[in-house]
Amino acid sequence: MKKISSVILLFLLFIGAIPFLSSFTSTDSNSNNPIIKFPYKKAGLSERQAAAHLLSRFTYGATPNQIDEVVKMGLENWLQQQLQANQPDDSLNAMLSDYETLSMKNKEIVNTFPRNNQQILRKAIKEGKLEKDTGQFDKKANRAQLEAYMKANGLKPERELIRQLINQKILRAAYSNNQLQEVMTGFWFNHFNVSLTKKDCIHFVTCYEKNEIRPNALGKFGSILLATAKSPAMLTYLDNFRSVANESGSVANEAGAKRLRELYAKQLELRNSGDTSQQFKDVIEKIKKSQKAQGLNENYAREVMELHTLGVDGGYTQSDVTNAAKVLTGWTIFPMQEMYGGKDFMTKLIERVGEDKLKQQGFVHDGDFMFTPNKHDKTEKTILGKKFPANEGYEEGVRLLDMLAHHSSTAHFISKKLAVHFVCDNPPTTLIEKMANTFLNNDGDIKQVILTMVNAPEFWSKEAIREKIKSPFELTVSTVRALNAGIAQPYQLANWINKMGERIYYYQAPTGFPDRAKYWINTGSLLNRMNFGLALASQRIPGVTFNLAALNNNHEPESTEAALTTYCKILMPERNVTETVKRLTPLINDPQIHDKVDAAAGKAVSPQMGQTMTGDEMMTTNDAKKGKKGKDKNEESSITQMQSKVGSNSMINQVTGIIIGSPEFQRR
Amino acid sequence: MSTRRGFIKSGALALFATGIGGVPAFIANAANSNKIIAPYKKSKKLVCIFQRGAMDGLMAVTPFTDDNLKLARPNLFMTAAKGSSNSPLIDLDGRFGLHPTMKAFEPLFREKRLGIVHAVGSPNSTRSHFDAQDYMEAGTPFNKGTSTGWLNRAVGLLGHDGATPFQAVSITSSLPKSFYGDNPSLAINNLQDFAIQMRGNPLAANLAAKSFEELYDQTSSNLLSRTGKESFDAVKMLQKANTKNYKPANGAVYPETQLGNSLKQIAQLIKMDVGLEVAFTECGGWDTHYNQGTEGGAFARNVGDLSNCINAFWADISTYQDDVTLMTMTEFGRTVKQNGTGGTDHGRGSCLFLLGNDVNGGIVHGNMPLLAKENLEDGRDVPVTTDFRSVFSEVADSHLKINNDRVLFPEWDGKKIGVMKG
Repeated sequence: MKKISSVILLFLLFIGAIPFLSSFTSTDSNSNNPIIKFPYKKAGLSERQAAAHLLSRFTYGATPNQIDEVVKMGLENWLQQQLQANQPDDSLNAMLSDYETLSMKNKEIVNTFPRNNQQILRKAIKEGKLEKDTGQFDKKANRAQLEAYMKANGLKPERELIRQLINQKILRAAYSNNQLQEVMTGFWFNHFNVSLTKKDCIHFVTCYEKNEIRPNALGKFGSILLATAKSPAMLTYLDNFRSVANESGSVANEAGAKRLRELYAKQLELRNSGDTSQQFKDVIEKIKKSQKAQGLNENYAREVMELHTLGVDGGYTQSDVTNAAKVLTGWTIFPMQEMYGGKDFMTKLIERVGEDKLKQQGFVHDGDFMFTPNKHDKTEKTILGKKFPANEGYEEGVRLLDMLAHHSSTAHFISKKLAVHFVCDNPPTTLIEKMANTFLNNDGDIKQVILTMVNAPEFWSKEAIREKIKSPFELTVSTVRALNAGIAQPYQLANWINKMGERIYYYQAPTGFPDRAKYWINTGSLLNRMNFGLALASQRIPGVTFNLAALNNNHEPESTEAALTTYCKILMPERNVTETVKRLTPLINDPQIHDKVDAAAGKAVSPQMGQTMTGDEMMTTNDAKKGKKGKDKNEESSITQMQSKVGSNSMINQVTGIIIGSPEFQRR
Repeated sequence: MSTRRGFIKSGALALFATGIGGVPAFIANAANSNKIIAPYKKSKKLVCIFQRGAMDGLMAVTPFTDDNLKLARPNLFMTAAKGSSNSPLIDLDGRFGLHPTMKAFEPLFREKRLGIVHAVGSPNSTRSHFDAQDYMEAGTPFNKGTSTGWLNRAVGLLGHDGATPFQAVSITSSLPKSFYGDNPSLAINNLQDFAIQMRGNPLAANLAAKSFEELYDQTSSNLLSRTGKESFDAVKMLQKANTKNYKPANGAVYPETQLGNSLKQIAQLIKMDVGLEVAFTECGGWDTHYNQGTEGGAFARNVGDLSNCINAFWADISTYQDDVTLMTMTEFGRTVKQNGTGGTDHGRGSCLFLLGNDVNGGIVHGNMPLLAKENLEDGRDVPVTTDFRSVFSEVADSHLKINNDRVLFPEWDGKKIGVMKG
């Protein structure tokens, strides 16, 4: 009896919670009283500690006083506001206003930043603007000639495009008021990874992040999946743009299709019987050969199941992959290159026949996306047991992605990935189940999934607090935020992020960067993290400026020991820093070392000479050329000297560097 | 503290023998976990160089008796005939000629330490640099989703844990795909950077290093404290070796190029006995679509550099030559025909070089057909007659004693062509 009534009670509670849950996320919700209190008290956390945890998860690091702000506002309200992602970002936008590529469309980018110098060279030679023999553009004079030619034709080097892409990401992460949106943009970009290592998609990455990822970062999973599937970046990165129907799509080659089906059946049979003999290998070779002959490219179809939706154990077969690839044949990019040679076949066809007429035949043109029915496999397909009838054109691809987006395996796969990112490297299955249920019951609404996660006790457990290791990008940006630092040359920070092992936008594999501590922490990268702390704190990273005294309201700490405690608390609020302070005090208090360090600091080289940056020199000088640095060399080095004369100041810098490089600061 | 430092001063191997007391953390860890530690001074070392951009194998090692090539490359063809030019090809065997700027390779070839494999490449016919490099480094030419690199898998198949963080080192600015995976591997751009640095202020750097060591020692995160220990032990090992004032042995002179610098650092690691078993580095500039040149020019500079760097490396590591095999690789070759801008476009088969005392050297291995159109892949390219996995796996099996091709190269049939002795 008792049991039954408690079940009923639970049920009633649940029913009662539904309207609350939905009102919680509604955009017009302006309630000042949080409806659901996050369950951090039970985990033994104070409100301030909980705020610190929340900030460590949903921002790129707390700024000074941000914990106060969140507490004042209410933790729940703060998260709600972040989920809406509609905070004004005027100062960030002003910083980004110089980056013209951020307001360009893919087509403009393609036609402004030629793929490589050789293409331009050929064109310049063709037009008689460059002598054929001087084509060695590693020679200075010729390079100048080439640059002049490009300028005259409104062309810009590709590295400028890349520089802007990387810089804007650093600036947004550091300064956006919509931090959660930016964190989720990073999460989804890595989930739907594309890479600048693939030259074909360099042009498309800027718009990919801006138009497909960021606006969908807190939306429905199905929307972001479809948006990425149709984007030129993904279409090139995973080759779907060139995937065309094999001849089996036409009746004339039914035999070929049948043969392939038989081969798949054979392969499955052998695999299931555990046969790995020569026969099995032969079958695989035969399958590959017949696929190759057909022009079908399975890359995207495979990865969309394995990496984007179902997960590797999500219950699909090789035949599902091949059929999905067939469904997606004809999904390609609308022609956009104007510069080299004449018009391509598609452009001519569109001009000749007219888009309206083509549309009647199933042709689709949506922004940069194009569906070409003549490249599409028109046969009937079966995927995950579901039939896709013949001749349904573009719509069947949309249906396929919709089906994948709402699959139970997808709900679990995405929930787990979110939990790994926001909770800990090995999240409990109880949590993943809760999140997956929300995912399935709310049409893959990411906001709701995040709320379920934060409302779960697992999110606040001691297994989660400070258990994530910051990636190099997160470490760098969290440092900037913790110091309230200004960034005049974001690329200088990018160089350090590279050095620490995260070359943003360049991860080659479609898996994206592994999201676990073990990947980021190794002997080499750890030393670079420490060196980063020291370099940044001693003002040796050009273009990064901060005022340590201001962080402490211009109060000078009365001793080095006091400085240590003060700055530990400023940089790592709501953490237990006693052990850090205890360990460092004897070292820092040694008066001899103190004096010697100060003396040596006075002799130290200027920041420019002292920089140890590697990476593309062109990019760093480009920043400098733009005159954003503000101070010239002499001015800057004299400031450094002044600072070191002050003595205690350089010790505070050193202390700050050690805190940034400390194990505690690597955690979030 | 003092015991540990004394321990490190006395050299890694000696330390190793004295037991757990002051042993570097990584050695102690390995010992504690009862893993077999290789007596690493004796371990074999594989050094790989990736030539990114696709080297023109036909110009590096030219089948100069083939008139088809002469016809296809009116401005690029070179011959070994004396008097044909100031610097004819180096005739290797009456059929193949080595590019004249690679003269450093000739003695190594005659001594049968240097082997060449021609018409080697990937069974996947992609001509995209990205895809082909990706496939080659993953070791799975038909599977893009492979998340690990073949050299990382090789490390896992060595049969013992690395005794030091230097078991697998890539001298590159970021970790190459070849090294992706769960087995520990390290990317270092410059050995001298492997230290706590405060330029111009060594005292402060020293204080900072001490502070960090203290902090990482006490942290509650196992991963951070263990890795921290390893880092500081490794730093001390390198400090002891004085990487800054390194003097190559045997008067070896490395070209002052990126590759020269990288190979010099690999030689340093080998000679320091820090447990290196797999090393990787790379060089670029091989994508010669434009003004490739012949005995001079861009290509000549590149192959000259490649051979001079490797030659210097080989001389430098003289006492370790028995333990080292070096292998070059490139993602594909270039078109048989020259293009309209004095260069060559993306093709299929290329060649690779193998150097070592275990190498079946002095031979141009592989099967290079006459370059008549009907013999070419897609009517234009050197056909791939040797699968790169055949060579890579034979080298790994024979030199590193790896015996699991199915893990190293899944989905591969295992045919080998005898590029290694025995």
